[in-house]
Amino acid sequence: MSTVIEQIEQQIARLSTKAVKKNTGTIRAVADGVAKVDGLSSVMYNEMVQFPGNAIGIALNLEEDEVGCVVLGDVSRLKEGDEVFTTGKLLSVPVGKALLGRVVDALGRPVDGKGPIDAKEAYPVERIAPGIIVRKSVSQPVLTGIMAIDSMIPIGRGQRELIIGDRGTGKTTIVIDTIINQARINKVGFASKDPNFRPLYSIYVAVGQKNSTIARTIAALEAAGALEYTIIVCAPAADNPANQYLAPFSGAAMGEWFMENSMDALIVYDDLSKHAVAYRQISLILKRPSGREAYPGDVFYLHSRLLERSARLAAKGSLTGLPIIETQAGDVSAYIPTNVISITDGQIYLETDLFNQGIRPAVSVGLSVSRVGSAAQLKMTKQVAGKLKGELAQFRELAAFAQFGSDLDARTKAQLDRGARIVELFKQPAFNPVSIELQAAVLWAMQNNYFDPIDVKKIVDAANHLKEFLTTRKSALLDALRQKATIDDNLNAELKKALEEWKAAFTA
Amino acid sequence: MAANRQSKLLARQLFKLSLIDGRVSAEHVAGVLAWLEKNPPRHPLAVLKQYHRFVVTELAKSQALVEHAGAINDGILRLIEDALARRYRRPITAVARPNPDLLAGLRVRVGDDVFESSVAGQLAALSAAV
Repeated sequence: MSTVIEQIEQQIARLSTKAVKKNTGTIRAVADGVAKVDGLSSVMYNEMVQFPGNAIGIALNLEEDEVGCVVLGDVSRLKEGDEVFTTGKLLSVPVGKALLGRVVDALGRPVDGKGPIDAKEAYPVERIAPGIIVRKSVSQPVLTGIMAIDSMIPIGRGQRELIIGDRGTGKTTIVIDTIINQARINKVGFASKDPNFRPLYSIYVAVGQKNSTIARTIAALEAAGALEYTIIVCAPAADNPANQYLAPFSGAAMGEWFMENSMDALIVYDDLSKHAVAYRQISLILKRPSGREAYPGDVFYLHSRLLERSARLAAKGSLTGLPIIETQAGDVSAYIPTNVISITDGQIYLETDLFNQGIRPAVSVGLSVSRVGSAAQLKMTKQVAGKLKGELAQFRELAAFAQFGSDLDARTKAQLDRGARIVELFKQPAFNPVSIELQAAVLWAMQNNYFDPIDVKKIVDAANHLKEFLTTRKSALLDALRQKATIDDNLNAELKKALEEWKAAFTA
Repeated sequence: MAANRQSKLLARQLFKLSLIDGRVSAEHVAGVLAWLEKNPPRHPLAVLKQYHRFVVTELAKSQALVEHAGAINDGILRLIEDALARRYRRPITAVARPNPDLLAGLRVRVGDDVFESSVAGQLAALSAAV
């Protein structure tokens, strides 16, 4: 009986009239998703403020007698004189595995019509990046499934690798391929029930893109069965700039949950050029002083604090960042590209000329680099692709010189032939990532001159034939390669045997 | 843009001149208005509007607007004044204003702080939580 009385007393205590203190202000002006508010004397930087009609905002400009807030939501109902009050909270988004397979907006609200998300936790959108002590160096690979990248510009878990290029050069295709490849690896890993297997979850942040483009990306991921391991955060071009500014930070918070909970995640920011433009728009409306190309002075800090959140933590997980930057007419020395190049641990540069020549993915080997990824590259890939980058760079140099004269010595001619074959070998259709063991086998064949007798124009067909041959008839060999991740004498002999068999089958 | 900034700056200087010991002085305000009439600035309306804003904001800090739904007596107002004066460490004058929309309880506004202890406030919080 006493517990019943206690319950009633607790209920009475909850209903007792206790004064609630709120710090309020009134809207002075609203324009382009930004409200100027009088009052709010106790508001803190980045604090969430409540507008009428359930719209929320973030206090971004704390001035002497007014506060500039970006409004997240419908601004059309807000008017001068409306009351605004502080909430004492930082903007947070839902995090956790419940978000996998879902499409959410910049605030983590579902936009895919699949019902509410049952997230148990929320993380603040703005967080300080992990410090030096808690970090660990990159040593595990992120396999993109793209031969040119995995062999020459390897990416490690916790690395930030920029993907940069003009419009229509295949930047998004590379990241979608990478996400699809992670899903395939995850499926194989979970099926193997290996206790040491570490899945890699993906987060794709679409900023300022057309809704149709986002729908196409979602469809591609769904068709490849990759959506169940992916969270899509979208702030399309039609969204207000505040949402476009916040979306990458929301995505980073979702990725950090995986990292903090001893899991690995990959985050794609597609793209940071549009993100910078959205931030410039907000800053100009907030009347912040503008600098180069009218960007505000803290546009570098905007991207550095975002990308620094990608890390590999000791005794925890990792968050790998793949930011995308769109260049104008191949100009990598523009303001935003140079900023992001200097922040990241390397870049994959995609060239329009290569793309138009039919070399896809159009990776420019000379301008692309991975500063830390080689530490994470698998031993078998190193064994077969160690010298490839140098050979390809030499080929490009020689090819440029060879245009001027026709008399070439045998050695130069051989180098040119080999280079042309490597270029052909790296051609890969979109949304068709290749497993790392298959890559190693194909590159082993190249290294051991199995493609030399084949005409350059037929290299793509030969490589496809070889991949099919190995997948269908030598799956045991591929399994052994995947498990050992190194090519020892036994595997070397087996590869040789398999390749001889394929050679006979292909030439017949 | 520059004109706005200059008007704000002048209004702020005039506002500072209107204070004695951190409180708005009626005499000083009258003096400022007289000076403005004699020496009109480049954008007099903008300066006066800005000046008005500063003075209103400052006066609101020393005044507690007590909205109430039921009956309230002077004793309660004095209690509120004392409590708020202790909290803000400055003299506060309480002004009562009936507001039946609160249903029951009080809402006290001092500057831009609002102390809500009304049924309407609790219902609003409940509806926001549901």
